[in-house]
Amino acid sequence: MSKENENNVQTKTTSHRVVIPFYLYAAFSLLIATILLFTSTDAFLEHYFHPHILAITHLMALGWGTMVILGASHQLIPVLIDGKLYSTKLAYTSFILSAIGIPLLVYGFYTFNMGPISKWGGRFVVLSVLTYLINLGMSISKSKNDNIHSVFIFTAAAWLFITTFFGLTLVYNFTTTVLPENSVHYLPLHAHTGIIGWFLMLVIGVSSRLIPMFQISKYTNVKLLWIIYSLLNISLLLYTYIFHFSLATPNTLIPGILLFAAILLFIYYCYNSFKQRIRKQLDEQMKISLLSVVMILLPVILLLVIIFILVKTLQVQTNLATTYGFLIFFGWLTAIILGMTFKTLPFIVWNKLYHQRVGTGAVLNPKELFNNKIFTIMSLAYIAGFALFVSGILLAISALLLAGASLLLITAVLYNWNVILILTHKPETK
Amino acid sequence: MNVITNSNIQSTLGLAALESVLDPEIGLNVVDLGLIYQLNFNSKDLVLTCTMTLTTQFCPMGESITDGVKQALQKTFRDHAVNIVLTFEPAWDHERISEAGKSFLNQ
Repeated sequence: MSKENENNVQTKTTSHRVVIPFYLYAAFSLLIATILLFTSTDAFLEHYFHPHILAITHLMALGWGTMVILGASHQLIPVLIDGKLYSTKLAYTSFILSAIGIPLLVYGFYTFNMGPISKWGGRFVVLSVLTYLINLGMSISKSKNDNIHSVFIFTAAAWLFITTFFGLTLVYNFTTTVLPENSVHYLPLHAHTGIIGWFLMLVIGVSSRLIPMFQISKYTNVKLLWIIYSLLNISLLLYTYIFHFSLATPNTLIPGILLFAAILLFIYYCYNSFKQRIRKQLDEQMKISLLSVVMILLPVILLLVIIFILVKTLQVQTNLATTYGFLIFFGWLTAIILGMTFKTLPFIVWNKLYHQRVGTGAVLNPKELFNNKIFTIMSLAYIAGFALFVSGILLAISALLLAGASLLLITAVLYNWNVILILTHKPETK
Repeated sequence: MNVITNSNIQSTLGLAALESVLDPEIGLNVVDLGLIYQLNFNSKDLVLTCTMTLTTQFCPMGESITDGVKQALQKTFRDHAVNIVLTFEPAWDHERISEAGKSFLNQ
């Protein structure tokens, strides 16, 4: 999708063909994950190291969260790094490798078969991430402008590579002794490199550019973003050090507090951007994205509570740990994706269908490519389903878990419905 | 919003035509958004050169916006060849939004 202009200023954006498969795959993954959630609610009353919970978590983390973020980031790389995407072939390769690897890995976890299927799944995922990392690194190195957002997303991709490589090592460790302890021991480290290093780092890097851009805000504060970046990385490296050397549990509070500080500063950044915005009106998608910024606080506060209890009793409260994971994958991460999908996908499709018609007469607005009523019902079902499921885990009540899972399944169906509406839209004039 | 031109009459017509070209995300037209820098009419060779910018260089909607500008101008000045010159010097900033644009965004 090259932009021709007479003075050859480079404005090249990423082709929709690269991006759309990621979105479609992610939407389908959410549907499957909520079906698995609906059929496995009782597993959430047991220990979090349960095959079904592992399968759902990996489907949410890789199939849903990572796939949609990879899709969006391929589209947004030019905006974020002020340069074009290095290779569409590498982007396709990354998609194909993940698309094959994720179901193999999830199936392996669901049946708790850590044999060749899981190992091949893990290998494909690691290769996919490596491909993405190379593509991103080459794109940044060819871009003329350095900016903090590039640093955030490249670091995030590097942490993702570390997370998936370590995850593959853990899969091997089930059948062959690779590490000194069993794989369950390393689960918190694997989870936190992924959650903080990949998801949080990337979301902050991207949001710190997009939120002011969508709000047309005058606010910029590169110094604050560097402080947030440093706090996140120091927190994660310190946690890895404490974990590796098995230091006393109270030490874990230090990276926890650094993480909390980074998030509070990011909320402060978003608040300032909101205050100095020129565009006063916020659409529903932007509201749910801003809600997700505040929702980051829930798992972090719970994490600090878990650490306090651990320090006092030397035991991890299983239901709190499960709630913590649920708050991240079905809470914060899902909220941001539900909002941002409809802030990006309709524009990608609209650009493909209508760009030659602009200026020739009235054309549909990108927001008219999906049904806003379905979006509103989806949002309500999501908020209610999420709250009920969290209550179900904390109070250990099966009926609440089932009610919550049903509403989350409805959320996934409505989300897929709107995504299909966008992708099958036929051009028309008003 | 200051648009430089060498023909006030033709420029008025051109800018009126460009008010129909909207930034699809913001919903505001390219004139009030301050994306149009210059409209230069060469009456001898019948060439209209529009110098414009985007809110960000790699704006995913950039192609739609510049295509829209070209088509709207072409529709109004059928006898002219329309050239679009995209520039990021100076880069767009909020100060370029017109008063009408600001009140639209304030709604």
